Amino acid sequence: MAAGYAWFLVLGSVLLCNLVKTLLPSISSFLSKVFQKDAEHETEMRMEIQGMKQELSSISMMDEFARYARLERKINKMTDRLKTHVKSRTAQQAKIKWVVNIMYYVLQAALMISLIWKYYADPVTVLPSKWIAPLERLVAFPSGVAGGVGITTWLVVCNKVVAIVLQAVG
Amino acid sequence: MEPPVEESTSSEEKGSLSASQRRAEIRRRKLLINSEDRMKRIMGFTGSKKDDGDRAEGARNEFEPNVHLEPGKPDGWPSSAPSAGLSPLCSDAGSVEQKGSPLPESRSTPGSYTEERGSAAPGHVTREELPAAGPQGLQQYLSHFDEAMRLREQLTGEKLAQDSSSDTEELDTFRLFRLIGSIVLALIVRVFVCNCLSIFAPFFTLQLVYMGTHKYFPKGERKMKTTILTAALLLSRIPAELISRSMDTYSKMGDIFTDLCVYFFTFVVCHEMLILIGSEGP
Repeated sequence: MAAGYAWFLVLGSVLLCNLVKTLLPSISSFLSKVFQKDAEHETEMRMEIQGMKQELSSISMMDEFARYARLERKINKMTDRLKTHVKSRTAQQAKIKWVVNIMYYVLQAALMISLIWKYYADPVTVLPSKWIAPLERLVAFPSGVAGGVGITTWLVVCNKVVAIVLQAVG
Repeated sequence: MEPPVEESTSSEEKGSLSASQRRAEIRRRKLLINSEDRMKRIMGFTGSKKDDGDRAEGARNEFEPNVHLEPGKPDGWPSSAPSAGLSPLCSDAGSVEQKGSPLPESRSTPGSYTEERGSAAPGHVTREELPAAGPQGLQQYLSHFDEAMRLREQLTGEKLAQDSSSDTEELDTFRLFRLIGSIVLALIVRVFVCNCLSIFAPFFTLQLVYMGTHKYFPKGERKMKTTILTAALLLSRIPAELISRSMDTYSKMGDIFTDLCVYFFTFVVCHEMLILIGSEGP
């Protein structure tokens, strides 16, 4: 029973891999949101800076120079802190993205290798050998079963078709 | 050397100008000439100038890319090509210079150190040349790279000009047509034909039909995707026309492979569905 659906299993795996690949940016941004919980703090800082700037615009520089200068220094300091914060957050985000990508490619490779390992000797589906007459050995590679469709051929075909479908959909 | 000539010509042309204006004009021209020389030295144009000999120097920049595009004119490539194209380390260049072929004196601007080298003994040349071989080779290589990039841009421009009437929608339509044709053929073959002959025979017939009717479809815009590869091929002195044709062939083969994948996939899925329904066994 399971052998009869090998072609579908391989097709499903390829489809899943490609779907996950298209969702990688969303997954990365979600994970970065989960791991970076101090985004609220950043928003607070931004609000604070905005408030201080408004206050600064209401102060006359000539009349209250000391207060003006103090507030300006405070704004500069806060802006510097915000910049440092944003910088570190961006670096962390890039790191998360990189890790997610690496994990995806490792998992995809593991899945493909395991599929090839499992169906190395068995064809994913069998057709009458005369139907695929001049290319039966190529199509059956690496199983070697006459009329069989080998895992490598089927993987290539599925990848191509799924890519076309996703391109059309996207 | 040039400033007096420039001075005389400018004095002839601008006799009506005052002395200060004339001086200013001469200064300006001098500066322009120097910057041009410097730019030529950077781009490595002076190297091929010696090989072209008496060819029109002014029209060279316009003429050069057209020469490269013509496949029947291999001599259109600058003859300094073999010395620089293959090894930027300039080991060949050194050997060429020693053989007595055009010396690198014309490669650089007049009055530069290479002119002195031309009159020196061969042994002396090699000794002095060794430290300068690296930067020269690099300069030549960079100039060839620049040339290749310009050619690539020109190629892309030509292609766009040729296909300006068609847009990407038409290409998509043709691709869609091909894919739908492959799917329909797979279904028909599975239901009616495959008991009699191989499934690849109808597919290749369909491809022949596509090839025959290809010219009746509007040509789609095909951009050069492999820019680095193209640049590398151009750098290795392969004619641009040949690269363009090869890339066309490559893309056609890719289209056929895509059609084959879709056809085979549809056939196998249809076959499995029929088995699942139980109407037909293999």
